[in-house]
Amino acid sequence: MGESKNESGLLAFILPFLAVVPALYMLEWESHEASILIVAIPFMTFPVILIAGQIYNGTEYWKDKLKEGGILALGALGASLSASLWLVYDYVDSLPDFYDQQSITQWLEWVSFDILQSDYTLTSGTKILGMGVWIDSITLMILFVATFLCFLICWFSLGYMNTDPINEDRNHRFYGEFVLFALGMFGMVLADNFLWLFIFWEVMGLCSYLLIGFYYWKDSAAYASKKAFLTTRVGDVFLMIGLFILYDIYGSLEFSVIFHDPSLDGMVDSNKLFWALLMMFIGAVGKSAQFPLHVWLPDAMEGPTPVSALIHAATMVNAGLYLVARMVPFVDVGHHGVPGLEELGLIIAYVGGITAFMAAAIAFVQNDIKKVLAYSTMSQLAYIFTGLGSALWFYNNDEHHAAVVVFGSSMFHLFNHAMAKGMLFMASGSVIHEMHHAHDHIHHGHAEGHGHDFDPQDMRNMGGLASKMPVTATAMMFGSMSIIGIPLIGGFWSKEGIIAETWLAALEHEPLMMGPAILVLLTAGMTGFYMSRMWFMTFAGSPKSEVVNHVHEETPWIKTPLVILTIITALGGFAFALLGATDYLASAYDYSGHLKLKKSTLLESIIYKLEYAFLPDKMNLRIVGWVTIFLSFIVGPVFAARIHGGKLAEGESSTPLVSWLVSLSSKFGSQDVSNLSESELSVALQNRLYFDDLYEGILARTVIPFSEFTAWFDRKVIDGMVKQVESKSVLGSVQIRNLTTGSARDYILMATVGMLSIIALLWGINS
Amino acid sequence: MMPELIMLLGLIAIVVVPNLGDAKFRLPLTSVRVPVLLGGSRFELTNDPRMPNRISNLTFSLALLSSLLLISESPSEVGGILAVDSFSRLFSTMFLAALLLVSIATTHRLPAKTNAHIPKESDSESVFDRKISILIDNRRQVDFYILLIMVGLGMTMMTMATNLFMLIVCIELASLSTYVLVAFHKEDGTGGEAGAKYFIVGSVASAIGIYGMSLLYLWSGSLDLEILRQSWLSMDGIDPFAAFGIGMMLVAFGFKVSAAPFHLAAPDAYSGAASQVSGLLATASKAMGFLALFRVLVMITVPDGSEAIWMIALGIFAIVTMTWGNLAALTSENPKRMLAYSSVAHAGYMLAAIAVVGSGISSVDQNAIILTAVSFHLFVLVLFKLGAFLVLALLETEGKGHEIEHLYGLGRRDPLIAGSMFLFVLSLAGVPPLSGFLSKLLMINGIVSTSASTGSSSSVDIVSWAESVDPLFWLAAAIVLNSALSLFYYLRIGLVMFFEEPSTEKSLRAAPSLRMAIFACALLTVLCGIGPVSEWLLDTVSSAIDSLMYE
Repeated sequence: MGESKNESGLLAFILPFLAVVPALYMLEWESHEASILIVAIPFMTFPVILIAGQIYNGTEYWKDKLKEGGILALGALGASLSASLWLVYDYVDSLPDFYDQQSITQWLEWVSFDILQSDYTLTSGTKILGMGVWIDSITLMILFVATFLCFLICWFSLGYMNTDPINEDRNHRFYGEFVLFALGMFGMVLADNFLWLFIFWEVMGLCSYLLIGFYYWKDSAAYASKKAFLTTRVGDVFLMIGLFILYDIYGSLEFSVIFHDPSLDGMVDSNKLFWALLMMFIGAVGKSAQFPLHVWLPDAMEGPTPVSALIHAATMVNAGLYLVARMVPFVDVGHHGVPGLEELGLIIAYVGGITAFMAAAIAFVQNDIKKVLAYSTMSQLAYIFTGLGSALWFYNNDEHHAAVVVFGSSMFHLFNHAMAKGMLFMASGSVIHEMHHAHDHIHHGHAEGHGHDFDPQDMRNMGGLASKMPVTATAMMFGSMSIIGIPLIGGFWSKEGIIAETWLAALEHEPLMMGPAILVLLTAGMTGFYMSRMWFMTFAGSPKSEVVNHVHEETPWIKTPLVILTIITALGGFAFALLGATDYLASAYDYSGHLKLKKSTLLESIIYKLEYAFLPDKMNLRIVGWVTIFLSFIVGPVFAARIHGGKLAEGESSTPLVSWLVSLSSKFGSQDVSNLSESELSVALQNRLYFDDLYEGILARTVIPFSEFTAWFDRKVIDGMVKQVESKSVLGSVQIRNLTTGSARDYILMATVGMLSIIALLWGINS
Repeated sequence: MMPELIMLLGLIAIVVVPNLGDAKFRLPLTSVRVPVLLGGSRFELTNDPRMPNRISNLTFSLALLSSLLLISESPSEVGGILAVDSFSRLFSTMFLAALLLVSIATTHRLPAKTNAHIPKESDSESVFDRKISILIDNRRQVDFYILLIMVGLGMTMMTMATNLFMLIVCIELASLSTYVLVAFHKEDGTGGEAGAKYFIVGSVASAIGIYGMSLLYLWSGSLDLEILRQSWLSMDGIDPFAAFGIGMMLVAFGFKVSAAPFHLAAPDAYSGAASQVSGLLATASKAMGFLALFRVLVMITVPDGSEAIWMIALGIFAIVTMTWGNLAALTSENPKRMLAYSSVAHAGYMLAAIAVVGSGISSVDQNAIILTAVSFHLFVLVLFKLGAFLVLALLETEGKGHEIEHLYGLGRRDPLIAGSMFLFVLSLAGVPPLSGFLSKLLMINGIVSTSASTGSSSSVDIVSWAESVDPLFWLAAAIVLNSALSLFYYLRIGLVMFFEEPSTEKSLRAAPSLRMAIFACALLTVLCGIGPVSEWLLDTVSSAIDSLMYE
């Protein structure tokens, strides 16, 4: 039982880290010069944590004061956060011009090479290992999201990881890998060329493997980490191919070179570029767990909950979105883009639409609280992909206004989703953690083997937790509302924009867009259902197991991040939306300043925003908007309430808002759906639509025979050759060493032979 | 000339200080006793057997410091045979750095014992012998450091020589001292034998070189480098005296850089000498040979960037050297011999780069880049080659280090030392981002970018391009293939250190100053590979080379 003790004194340890940035400010550094610290400080910290953990493991100071490295990790991430806040503060109003941006600052200048071009001429001094910082609105936003969430998740981990006996004496591994993971994301966002983007991308891939497999002695965890690694690897190979093609086209992977004029004065072969971008998109699909490479994400829940929060909200899954967002300059025909790439937008939108719908459907039947969130993540990311797909389509058809709107909405949805989902995962972690502790508490000293089959993540064991865990319940309520898109709460603003503009594309321009448009609209209602279902199953009604009655919300470190994120989700999204976040986020690719001209004063722009959201000019958009609201706000939640809603037990109460919501849920009557759970569709959904079986079947028939063949080839042919080289070298080595007789007479003889041959060579050749 | 002056003073101090005592001289006919300080019974401070080591450390530190400060000094001449410029200062800085490291590291190789007593008549024979050996050891301290400072003087002076005669004299000053240093531990047999062999082969090589020098004198009537250069420029065809002279000098310098087939004595010498001294031979002494090659080959014989007569010879010798070195290292069971052969291989890489300078197809800029790369390689070699030898020196303090088994399980016995050793061998193998990678990359890049431009740009495929490219391109390929081969034995060190069972769990001797030197080498190996320090060093080397090339 995590007794509630005040450990906030430990925060004093992170002050030196936090003092770094102010100190540099005093020394008159520029924020972009300090930006290297965002990556460098975690990079220097992670080996310290791992090594110190290995050495000092088990000592009292390491465990109680440094929290097995957690405090060091928190300090490093705090320093990253402060450095990135400084960067945001400096550049938020004065973004450098996107298309003519030279790298703001060069962190690393390594050697330069002469490159042999494909036409057998040399270009001199191509810098391919340099790395600098690229700053625009997207970088700033994702950087802020990543640093901020990583900091909070690390904070949360101090409570979650360090009070669980199963993690005892291994937490330094967790924190070391966590910090490495975080710096991978920071570096990827800041990198000013695709090569470093890829390097940091792979750092994240490695860390996700390590962290998902944190409980590596459990077969399921080992399997899940392998699966995540291999599945994303498929995408990574395509990404690499995409980058090769890109390099072939532009002769460089630097943003400043490529984005300056992606069409190379109209000389670029659009077909080749299409394939490059498509390959890169497949990489993004793997990383962001989209159909058909989505299978790894639900299994990734095997990792500790903070890892789920880290991967599924703050970092890795956003990497794919970031990569797709970087494709805009290639297709923006209004500004040096390459025409004829509409199909790319369509493909992305379709992949997004299909994933959104499919994931939402599977989420209907999940009983594991984290799995629901995992599928919800997939579905919400798919929204963003759909939005980005239509943005690319619009850009490529020179519909600049619509493109900018939907692009901004997509990016804003990324922000909202990251904040809400990070918080939801932490809240679910809080629930799981307390359930687990309560269970341990009850069965402490009872008969052996009792309750080993108890699953603290199963929502069928919960119910009525609202009164036990008021903070968590409130947090989760706002998080779910944001994901559902309840009007005025964060996610609403961005989701509305995506759906509306996709429909605009479908209705007015491209009938093929109708597919994704219908799918995302339906998904809006389904989101309402499954998110509400999760909340009601967990918090409403009467307790479904005895354990619930013993739950207390008292583990230290857990509440603070929840409260902070609740405030941001509840109010931040609203405020940012009205202040024009979507326009700001789109400003990177808004060369004509299209959106800035719209409204001058703040009030006018707020009114314009509200009007745009609820009463857009175009009638069809107005209909779409209200249908979305109706589906997500009314239909989904009401169905969920009918099935899973219910009053709390007698005498229990929670925060006023939560209590009201719970009692409201009981007013819709109730409906028994247990007969539905036996239906074929339900079974199919529970089996995740058989994708895993399908892939395994395909793998067993294709890849495994092939890999057996390559294993044979490797053993016999490659190893055989290597062994030949080795034995021949060893033979040569023995023979040549025989020449070293150890007798000075022979040495002098050899020297004389050498002299004569030198003279023969000099004289013989030159006369 | 500040560093040289400091070393001279150090030399005097090292002779005088241990002899300071309370001797007094009575003025005749009076009872006034004037202290003369020399002789008598010594003061406690000066009697300390560790005194020579301290003086030597101090001398080299001060000399290094002054050399560093003077690195961008404006050129000046001394007596027509010495010239100080940033190029010579750069190299003397490197030599002094290596010597300082060796001097610090030898504190624990020749352990001065403070409990020395004069044996009494009553002592048993064994006690008597032990006391005597302690006394001798303590007494020998000073010889070692005198020799070390002599090496330093020879090396720093040779960087400044503008006259071939002076050059040879300085090289011999340094070489003769190193011969004695190799044989310094004459008790254990191998040291004495190694020193003798090294001396015999070395003196033959020197004799050939001096004969070559005399041929050059016969041909031009002067040994001044500038005059030789002018004569070469105005030479009609190739004069046999000049060609023979250059060829024979190549033999002498080839021995210094341990190029095949003149390297044969080197592995014996390295394995017989104390590891610190082997490290010195493999770094500073080798660099001395390369510096002489720069002076004689590049400065005299390719004044106008045309094709040099020695280009093909050097190219062939480079390939033979690197292949021989790597092959022989492959099955060496003695880590010191292995490092010696690896040092031969590295000499081959650098010779290949110099061969390209003489090819006549490279521009002056490209030559400057290649020479920068070679000089940079010599510089960083001091860090990781010497560092690796110092790790062996640490093993030697317990009488080990000459068999690969002694490295078994070092990772468990002493993780930091094993980690440093692993860093050193990785850097030797050229693994990024260590400095060994950067320097090797720069050399290969220099060779490739010079030779690849000769490839026909009208080639239709890679095969026809490869056929059209200048044969020098294949020197780079040889380096790459050899590097791959060398990985076998470099990584084997890492393998045995981390995956084999140690014969004892005992951790290594504390030896703080030796450890300090090792860690300094390890840290600089990383810093000189990536980041601001490497950039600074590269800039310094590059500007020094520019001062040599574009004067």
